[in-house]
Amino acid sequence: MAVQTAELKPSVPSSPLTGFWREFRKNRMGVVGLVMLVLIVIVAIFAPALAPYDPETSEGITSRDIYNPPSTDHWFGTDDAGKDVLSSFIYGSRVSLIVGFFAAFISIVIGGVIGIVAGYYGGRLENILMRFTDTMLVIPDLPLIVVIVALTKPSLLNIIFVIGLLGWTTTARVVRSQTLAVKSRKFVLRARAIGAGTRHIILHHILPLVLPLLVVNAILVISLAILNESTLSFLGLGDPTATSWGQMLNFAFGRGAMSAGAWWALVVPGFGIVWVVLGLTLLGHGLEQILNPRLESHHLMPGRPTVQTEAVDVTGKRSDVPVLLDVRNLSIHYVGDGQVAKAVHNVSFQLHEGELLGLVGESGCGKTTLMMALMRLLPAAGQIASGSIRFGGWDLATLKEDEMAEIRWKGISIIFQGAMNALNPVRTVGDQIAEAINKHMPGLPHGVVNARVLELLDLVGIAAEHKDHYPHQYSGGMRQRAMIAMALSCDPQVVIADEPTTALDVMIQAQILELLDDLRKKLGLAIIFVTHDLGVVAEMCDSVLVMYGGMTAEYASVDSIYNAPRHPYTQELLKAFPDLSKPEKRLTSIPGYPPKLNALPDGCRFAPRCPLAFERCVTEMPRLHELNGGHIVGCHLVEEKS
Amino acid sequence: MSDEFILEVKNLKKYFLAGRPALFSRTEQYVHAVDDVDLQLRRGEVIALVGESGCGKSTLALTLMGLENATEGSIFFEGRDITHLTDRERKSTRQRIQMVFQDPYESLNPTQTIEEIVTEPLVVHGLAGDHGERQAHVVRALEDAGLKPAEEYMHRFPHQLSGGQRQRVVIASALVLEPHLLLADEPVSMLDVSIRAEIINLLADLRESRGISVIFITHDLGTVGYFADRVAVMYLGRIVEIGSMREVLTDPKHPYAQALLSVIPVPNPRLRRKRMILQGETPNPIELPVGCRFHPRCPVAMNICKESDPRLLPISETHRAACLLLAK
Amino acid sequence: MKRYRYLLKKVSWSAFTILFVLILNFFLFRVLPGDPVKAGTHDPRFKKENQEAMRVRFGLDKPVINCFETLNPIKVGDCWINPFETQFFIYIRNLVQGELGISYHTNGPVADILVERLWNTLLLIGAGQILSIIVGILFGLFAAWKARTVIDYSALITGLVTWSLPTFWLGIILLFWGSGHGFPIGGRITPGTSSYPLSYQIADIAKHMVLPTLTYTIVYMGEYLLVMRSSLMDVLSEDYILTAKAKGLSTFQILKDHALKNAMLPIVTIIAINLGFTVAGAIQIEAVFSWPGLGGAVYEALERRDYPVLQGVFLLIAVSVVIANLIADLMYSYLDPRVQTE
Repeated sequence: MAVQTAELKPSVPSSPLTGFWREFRKNRMGVVGLVMLVLIVIVAIFAPALAPYDPETSEGITSRDIYNPPSTDHWFGTDDAGKDVLSSFIYGSRVSLIVGFFAAFISIVIGGVIGIVAGYYGGRLENILMRFTDTMLVIPDLPLIVVIVALTKPSLLNIIFVIGLLGWTTTARVVRSQTLAVKSRKFVLRARAIGAGTRHIILHHILPLVLPLLVVNAILVISLAILNESTLSFLGLGDPTATSWGQMLNFAFGRGAMSAGAWWALVVPGFGIVWVVLGLTLLGHGLEQILNPRLESHHLMPGRPTVQTEAVDVTGKRSDVPVLLDVRNLSIHYVGDGQVAKAVHNVSFQLHEGELLGLVGESGCGKTTLMMALMRLLPAAGQIASGSIRFGGWDLATLKEDEMAEIRWKGISIIFQGAMNALNPVRTVGDQIAEAINKHMPGLPHGVVNARVLELLDLVGIAAEHKDHYPHQYSGGMRQRAMIAMALSCDPQVVIADEPTTALDVMIQAQILELLDDLRKKLGLAIIFVTHDLGVVAEMCDSVLVMYGGMTAEYASVDSIYNAPRHPYTQELLKAFPDLSKPEKRLTSIPGYPPKLNALPDGCRFAPRCPLAFERCVTEMPRLHELNGGHIVGCHLVEEKS
Repeated sequence: MSDEFILEVKNLKKYFLAGRPALFSRTEQYVHAVDDVDLQLRRGEVIALVGESGCGKSTLALTLMGLENATEGSIFFEGRDITHLTDRERKSTRQRIQMVFQDPYESLNPTQTIEEIVTEPLVVHGLAGDHGERQAHVVRALEDAGLKPAEEYMHRFPHQLSGGQRQRVVIASALVLEPHLLLADEPVSMLDVSIRAEIINLLADLRESRGISVIFITHDLGTVGYFADRVAVMYLGRIVEIGSMREVLTDPKHPYAQALLSVIPVPNPRLRRKRMILQGETPNPIELPVGCRFHPRCPVAMNICKESDPRLLPISETHRAACLLLAK
Repeated sequence: MKRYRYLLKKVSWSAFTILFVLILNFFLFRVLPGDPVKAGTHDPRFKKENQEAMRVRFGLDKPVINCFETLNPIKVGDCWINPFETQFFIYIRNLVQGELGISYHTNGPVADILVERLWNTLLLIGAGQILSIIVGILFGLFAAWKARTVIDYSALITGLVTWSLPTFWLGIILLFWGSGHGFPIGGRITPGTSSYPLSYQIADIAKHMVLPTLTYTIVYMGEYLLVMRSSLMDVLSEDYILTAKAKGLSTFQILKDHALKNAMLPIVTIIAINLGFTVAGAIQIEAVFSWPGLGGAVYEALERRDYPVLQGVFLLIAVSVVIANLIADLMYSYLDPRVQTE
C-alpha cells in the first residue's frame, strides 16, 4: 500500500540530527535526566572547588568529631572517621563516575564489535559468537564479579576491568539484532548492488543506523556499571584507597552508623548513587522513546466524543430499494499536538440492500478513516466532527461505546486487509470465529457453535481440519478467507471489505473476489468494498464513490463513473489505470502528490494537480452537485455547465 | 556469444536450502527458486518478466546482479561470463548492470542526503576525480531522472521526498554509473496508481535516449503493455511463455498465462469476460510436481502432462510456450 | 516431532553451559593469582589432618596434567596424561559425589553449609519474587491500559525510580527506619526462640521477613512494571486487537482473552533471566539484614576469605540460574505456538 510523505518545503533542510534535537527537547523525561547528569558531572569535575574540606587529610580531627549530626560546619554531618560527609560525597562522585564510565566503555566496545561482526558476517562465526554471548548472559553477573575480584587485588583498575569484561552481553545482543535488521534493509542491498565492499557498507550504512540503539544501550550499561561498583564496594571488595559512594556506605554500615543513629552517613552517599542512576535511566528512557517510538496510541484508548450536528438532506433517493446505511455530511478530524487534520470532509452516501458500493481512492484520501468511523473504531486522536450515520434506526455517530459494541459485527462487520496480525497469532482460527458467535448469541451450546464455525469455514472453502490451526499455519489467501468467514459469522446486514485483496496475488485475488460475489448473492449482503484498483471496481461494483483528499470527488453508478466521468480526478485516474483489453494504451499520470492532512488548501483539494483548474478552484471549496440519475460531482466545472 | 545480445542466460538455476542445515538429516530439501531459465536480451530492448509471488522473478534478478550465487548454468553479459565472479572481479560489471528496487521507502538510507546517495556509486568505483566533476555527474543524473532543478533536491533527506520522488532518486543513483542494463524489480508496485505512469514513462524515455536495456519485473501485467518489447511469464522458477508483447498479452498459449490474463480486472464494467480462475494455490517450490509443473492446477491437463516436463516449444518465430498441447 | 527436537536442543545447550560453568569455576580458583586452594592448605586455620585430607581429596598432590609416559595412556602434545589422574577429573568426580570442599571457617563440609542455607534463600527470594511479579505486573497493566493518563505517568516514574535504587541501600534505609519502629534488626529468628511453639516461630520468621521482602519487592517490581507496560502497549497496538474490538468485544474481554497472554510472553523470559540478577540482589539483601541464606554465606565468606565456601556458592548459584533459564525457555515454547515451527 503506497503512502505519500511530506510535502516539499522550500526552506532549511532538516537533517536527522537537528530533527532529533528538536524531538529531544520536547521529551521531558530525557531532558530531566540529562540535566541531572550534567549537574553531577559538574560536581565531579569541580570537586576541589566545591568541597568545603579535603577528605584526604585527617588534620584536626578528634574522636569527638565522629558521627556528628548536620550543622553549619558540616552540612551533612561527619562520618565514622570524623570527616565531612559532604566533601567525601563530592569527591566520591569522581570515583563512582570514573569507574562507571570506563567500565562501561570497555563493555560497549567489546559488545559492539562482537555484535557487528556476528550480525554482519553471519554463518558459523555468528553462531559461535552468539552461543558464547548467550552462555555469558546466563551466568549471573554479580556472583562472578564478586568471585573474581575477591581472588584478585581489589584495586580500582581491577574493578574497572572486571566489570567491563563481564558487562558486554546486553550490548552484543542489541548490536547484533540491530545489525541484522539493518543488513536486511533494502538500501544495504542496493549498496551491494552498486558494488560497495564490506568496509564501506559497515561504515556508511550499518554503523549510522546501529549507533542510536547502541547509545541507548550504552546508557544502560553505564548505570549497571555504577550499580555494580557500589555493590562491590559495599560488600567490602572496593578499592580502599578510592572512596566511592559505595565505599562510604560500606564504612558507615560496618562501623555502627545505624546504632549511632547517623542517618546522614547512610542517606547521603546512597542518594548520590540514586541521582546518577536515575538520571541515566531517565535519559535512556527518553532517548528510547524518541529513537524507537511506540505508536502514540493503542486500540483500547478511549475515543473522542462525536460533535452533534444537524444533518442536511443532500441527495434525493436513488432507487426504491430500502437503504440500510445512510451517511450524511460526515466529517472526521484528527486532533493532536495542537493541530487539527481534517481527514474527511462532508461525505455522504447511501448503501442499499444487496448493493456493492466501491469506495475508490489513493493514499491519503480518507477511505480507511471513513470506514473506521462507521464502526466507531477511530484511533484515540480521531473525532467525528459533524454528520450522521443512520443504521437500523440509530445514529451510529452518537451511540455510546457499549451500545455500539452491540451493533458491531452483528449489524455491520468488517474484513480487514489480511495482514499476518489481523488474527491473534496465539489462538486458533476456529476459536476466534467462535468468539464472535458467543459474544452476540450468548448461551448457545458448544456443539451448535462448533457446527456453525465448520459451516462458515466450508462456505469460504477452508477444509474442516484447519479449524484448530493457528493463523501462521494458514497461507495468505486462506487467512483472508478465514477473515471473511469470521465477518459473516453473525449474519450482518452490511459488510465492509477494506482492501481485502491488495496484498494477494492476482489469482488468489480472483478467487476471493469470486467468493465475495457468490456470498453476496447467496446471503443478500450489502458490501462496501474499499480499494484503489479500478479494475476490481468495474468488475464487481454497482455504484462507486471516488474520494480525493478526504472529500467526495464523484459518486455515481459504476456505469456512469466509467463511461461518463465528470470529475477531473476520476477522468485522470481512469487514464492512468492500465487496461489489458488495450495493452498499448500509453498511460498518463497525475503530476504532484496528495495534500498533507494538516496543510490542506482552502479551495478544492485537487486543484493543485488538476489540469482543468481555474481561479475559483483555488479559493473556494466546490459544493456537491447532483446530476440526473443520482450522479454526484464535487467540482465547480459541473456547476458552470449546468 | 554473439554481439547482438547484451545478456545471455543459459540453463540458469538457483536453489536455496530449505530451513537451516540440520546436523542429522538424510535428504536435504531445496527451494527451487529459479529452475532452468534461458533468456536473451538485445541492446536497447525491454523485456517484462511477469509472474505471481514465488515464481522466482526476483531471485532471477538478484542472481543476474551477482547478489546471489547461481547454483547451475551460465550468465553472459556483453560477451563475458559473469556467472561465478568474486566481488572484486564483478565490480567493473556492476557499473554496467544496475538495479531499481520495489520499495522507495526502504531503498534509501535515511541518514544520507540525496547528493550523498547519488554520489556513492561514483565513490565506490573511484570515478570522476574531484568534487566538482562528481557533483556535475550527480546533477545530470538527477535531472535525467526528472528531478529538476537538481539543486533543490541535493541537500534534502529521503523522508522529505514523496514516494515517486524517492524512486526517481533510486533511478538517478543507478544512472550515474551510465549502465547498459537496468533491472527494475517491481519499481512501481508501491506507488499510487496515478503516479506509476510517471516512473514507467521515465524508464521508457531512458531507453530511447540512452539505449539502456531493461528487464522489467512485475506482477502487474497491465503496466507493461506499452513499454515492453517482449513479455516472459514465469511459474515456479521457469519461463512458461515468452514472446512479443502483443503475442503474449493478446494471444497467450500457455494455460497459466491464459488464466492469468483472464482474471486480471479490466476497468470496463460493460466487458463481461470468461474468467479462468485457477483453484488452489501455487505449490511450494520445494516439492515440485512431477511432469509439467503446472499440471495439478491446469484446466486442460492431459495424461501425458503428469509424466513429461515440457520445454519451451515454438508457436511462431518469436513466440514460445512450455505446453504439451503445442506438441500435438 | 519438531517440539521434541527443540527441547533436546535446549536441554543439551543448558548442559553445555553448566559444563562451561564447571570449567570456569575450576580454573578461576586455580589459575587466578593467589591460587587460594594451594594457599588454603597452608592456611593456619586449617587443622593439620584436614589439610592433608584436602590435599589428597582434591588431588593437590597430583599435577594438573602430569607427563609421565609409563602409566599414562593418552598423549596430549608432548605430554602423556592419564585423564583420570588430573586435578580436573578429580574435581568433577568430587562434584558428582556432592563434595564441595571444606570450609576454612567451620572446618566442616561446604555442602552442608549450602544445603542449610539454600532453603532460607529460597524462602526469601520466593516470597519477594512472587510479590514483585504480582505488583509489577498489575501496575504495568494499569499503566498500559490507561496510557497517557496520570496513572500511566506515575506508574512509569515509580518504575524508573525503583529500578534506579541500589538494592543494598534501600535495605539499609528500610532497616534504619524499621529498627526504630519495632522491626527486628536482622536475622531470621529472634535468638533463643528455637524451642518455642511452631506458630510462634512462623510468626517470628514472618516478622523478620517483612523488611527484606519489602526491599526485594520494591527493587524488582520496577523491571516487571516497565516490561509489562511496554509489552502490553505493543500488544494493544496490534491489528488483532482492532479486529477484536470490531467484533464487539468489551475492553475487559479483549484484555482478558487477547491481550494478556501475548503481553505476558516476554515477562516469562524476564522472570527467568531475572533469577540471575535476583540472586545478586539476594546477596545484598541478606548482607544488610543478616539473613542466613546463600547470599549471607557469600558475604560472610568474603569477610573471612573462606574461599571454598565462595566457590561452592558460586557454583550452586550459577547452576541453578542455568536450570531456571532452561525451564523458562521450555515454558515459553509451550505458551507460544509459533516457536516450534521456528
